[in-house]
Amino acid sequence: MSEQYDLVEATMKIIQDRRSIRQYTAEPGSEEHLATILEAARQAPSGENAQPWRFIIVKDEATRKQLGAIAGGGSGRRFTAEFVTEKMQARFESLEDEAKKKAIFEKLTSGRVSAFLADAPVSIVVCGRKDVWDLPYDTSAAIENILLMVTALGLGACWVIAPCIDIRDEERLKDLLGVPEGIKVVSIIGVGHPTRPHRPRPRLPLHELVYNEAWDVAYYEEEA
Amino acid sequence: MSGQGVSLDYVNSIVYDLQKAFWDERGKGARFRTTTVGRDYFLDKCLPRIGARKVEPIVEVIEQVLREEGIVAGMSHEIDGKLLRLTVQGCLHESVEQSLVAKGVEPFTCIPANLVVLAIEETLDRPVELAEIKVEDGACHMLLALFDARPTFD
Repeated sequence: MSEQYDLVEATMKIIQDRRSIRQYTAEPGSEEHLATILEAARQAPSGENAQPWRFIIVKDEATRKQLGAIAGGGSGRRFTAEFVTEKMQARFESLEDEAKKKAIFEKLTSGRVSAFLADAPVSIVVCGRKDVWDLPYDTSAAIENILLMVTALGLGACWVIAPCIDIRDEERLKDLLGVPEGIKVVSIIGVGHPTRPHRPRPRLPLHELVYNEAWDVAYYEEEA
Repeated sequence: MSGQGVSLDYVNSIVYDLQKAFWDERGKGARFRTTTVGRDYFLDKCLPRIGARKVEPIVEVIEQVLREEGIVAGMSHEIDGKLLRLTVQGCLHESVEQSLVAKGVEPFTCIPANLVVLAIEETLDRPVELAEIKVEDGACHMLLALFDARPTFD
């Protein structure tokens, strides 16, 4: 029996239920679902209604493996740099479980945190036209729409910037996918059926995030 | 109009302004968008002189080129397993780093380090990541992480 929600409740539930899903079953996604997800992306807001987003759908296994390799390589390099400069250790200083900490470090420095793209049944490569003013913001709005629709459909997705953040990796990606000079590759969204439910990640409370009329003037009182 | 005799102060003030503008836009992520800055210079001046297939002599070629071209007064390196430490003294662009530090920005682009990264990646196909740039004691100290091979899922 499906639960009943009004529109506000349903919208908030979708937002709150979204997770970054990195493990997928072998079950392929349907074309109907994919079309619904892309329609959600198409409806995103954009500056001057420029709609600069373009999407490359990747299902081919060999290409997916290349995406995973590029993503994993980029993440591995960056997180290794964080590790050797001990910034990563500082970030996880409050984590007392040493075994868990070691596992996190290994997952990050090995690049596995992003290499899972190789196993995503479908990847949506989000690109943007450079000849607009608001490329990163416009495409990010489209990506959030994708993630929310994926959640509404009961699927899982993860927004991966790892294969695009470093210009060296973005160049490899553009070569791989034949993306022309006037287009930027912004992110890749791995989509599939989640293997298991995921718990929510912590969020900062509103009183730490919202200011009243000017910076650093609390809008909300901290709850006792 | 000839650019000969152009003021280094002018050049560095422009380079600083560009880097600061990029930092203001992209924050900590700016570093990853400047990793290929210097590539044309590398292809023109450095790559033709690289014959070795090992990290150390490749780094030495870059050091030699930069000294000969008057871009740095001195440059040295130390390899410690998977870590490569570079020290650059008297770099033409040192004031850019100093200006960034004065604004509370951790320097994120170093052309000598980029040339070393490009050299190792182009000739050995080994990934390299510039992990840190520190300006201390009148020199720039760079820490780079070396990787054995590019990941594949073949």
